[in-house]
Formats: sequence, structure tokens, C-alpha cells
Amino acid sequence: MPPSDADIQNIDRLIHEPSRLAIMMQLYVVESADFQFLEHQTGMTPGNLSSHLRKLEDAGYVEVTKEFVDRTPHTALKLTREGREAFIAYRRSVKRFIDKLPE
Amino acid sequence: MVKNVTKQDTLREVEKKTYMSYHQDGLIDIIIGLYALAFGLGIVADKIWDFSFAVLMPGILIAIVLPIWIQAKRKITLPRIGYVNIGTKGSNKLFALLLGLSVAGLGVFFLFTMMTFQNGRPEWIETILFHYGMIWIGLGATVIGSLFAYTMGLKRLHGYGLLTLALFVSGYFLSVPFEYLLLVVGSVIIASGAVLLSQFIRRYPLPKGAPDNAAQ
Repeated sequence: MPPSDADIQNIDRLIHEPSRLAIMMQLYVVESADFQFLEHQTGMTPGNLSSHLRKLEDAGYVEVTKEFVDRTPHTALKLTREGREAFIAYRRSVKRFIDKLPE
Repeated sequence: MVKNVTKQDTLREVEKKTYMSYHQDGLIDIIIGLYALAFGLGIVADKIWDFSFAVLMPGILIAIVLPIWIQAKRKITLPRIGYVNIGTKGSNKLFALLLGLSVAGLGVFFLFTMMTFQNGRPEWIETILFHYGMIWIGLGATVIGSLFAYTMGLKRLHGYGLLTLALFVSGYFLSVPFEYLLLVVGSVIIASGAVLLSQFIRRYPLPKGAPDNAAQ
């Protein structure tokens, strides 16, 4: 059975964008990371990363906390519970969609 | 990427890449090498001054090297690649391995103590263990190196294990004293760590500008 419109609608468009998907994947496998670490791991420019992070933060998927490490201020980023659940749901819906595609 | 994200292997790859990025600085190699080198120097010192340096060395090293390693991570690695909290998954595996090795070591020690106090160790065990001691140490290093390589995802630890095996087997046949082999193994591993560290420093220069790395 080919994928239906509902299968396509179920895919979270916010996560589906490749750069944001890379950020979500990276944050999914760690407890938290800072901006610099994400920059290295995703290979994105600071401006690009910042803009995508803001979208994910606005959606409630990413939590940004400011803290001090060795008296140096830095920003820790982590997935919220909602973000984790959204990522799991995204993976499921993409898998369902791909599975229904003809070979 | 979208198709791959549905596969568990892809997430494991990302997890592995994250973990590896944390250990590509060569600091762990320098620590392992320092241990082997210091242990070898301890045995040399034992022979010169007749004092149990080699027995004390592991404790002394943990007290000195561990804080240096933590500081080096903070001052060299983290400012270059950024801060990441990987969570407990990796450290749990490592802890399980260390616990397993400690239990196995204690078990063997207990077995030998029992055998010694009851009937004495059979002669064939004495021959196998003490006559081929160097080969056993080489094999042990290869197995332990492989276990750590698998647990930590650092393939170069397989290489260190094999290097130790090759050196100790050659040392056995060429009658090279144990401590000199330890000195060679330690020096080679430190040199490899130093090369990795210098590559890491060149690949990830310190970011210029404000100390706050948040560009948000």
C-alpha cells in the first residue's frame, strides 16, 4: 500500500529540514552539548546553527541554559522531553512512510 | 540522511563519533604510555636502590596523573571542541569492563593462593607461567587492549596491544629484560599520543574572541 497523505502529514516538518535533523540527532545521543561542540559535529556555520537552534527552541524541542564552567560562561543545549518524544515520533513516521514506498 | 535516521545504526554512529571526538586528543594514549614507562622505571629503580618502587608506582601515578589528565582535558580539549555531556552510557560500559577485569584478576590471585597453600602449584603451571611469563604478559596486553578498544571505540588500542605482544615475544626470544620492554612500550605509546595531541591542536585551534562560546 503506497503512503497516504496522512503519512506525509505526520512527518514533523520542523525536524525534517536536514540541518535541524542533524542538530536533533546530535542532541538525541548526548545529555547536553554546547554551541561550539554542535558547530564542530554538524559542520554548520555559527549563524546557520544559531538560526536553526532558535527555531527548535521556539518549538520547545531544545532547552538552552546558561552556566559557568571554570568561571567561563557557556551555553548548554539539550533536548527537552518534548523534543525527545518528537524525534522518536519523527523517526517512526519516516520509517512508516519509507516502508510503504514501492521498491 | 532522512532515510538513515530511521536506522538504529545511524544513531549509534553519531553516538560513536561524538564519543570519539572526545578521545582524539591523544591524552589517553599519553596516560597509558606514562603508566607503562613509570612502571618500567619503577622496576629499574627497584634493582638500583632495592626499594619497592614498582609496587608503589600505580598508586603514585593515580594520585599524580589523574588530576593532570582532568586538567588537560579542561584546558586543552574542551575549549577546542566544546563542552559535551555524553551521559553515563559509555562510562557504565567502561566501569563494567574494569569491574570484570578486577574480579577476574582477584579470582586468579585467589586460585593461585589456594593452590600454593594446599598442595603447592603443579610444576607444569610453574613452567608455563614463569618460563613463558613474557609471552603471557604480551598476550594479556593484547586481550586487555582489545577489550578497551572495543569498549571505548578506540581502534588504536588494538595496535598498542599488538605492539606489546610483538615486543614481549621478541624480548622473550632475545632475552631482553622485562623493564626495558616496558620502557620501550611506554615511550612508543607516549610518542603516538604526542603526535595525536599535536594534530588535534592544529585541527582545532582555540576559538578567538569572547570566552562565551554561545553565538546565540
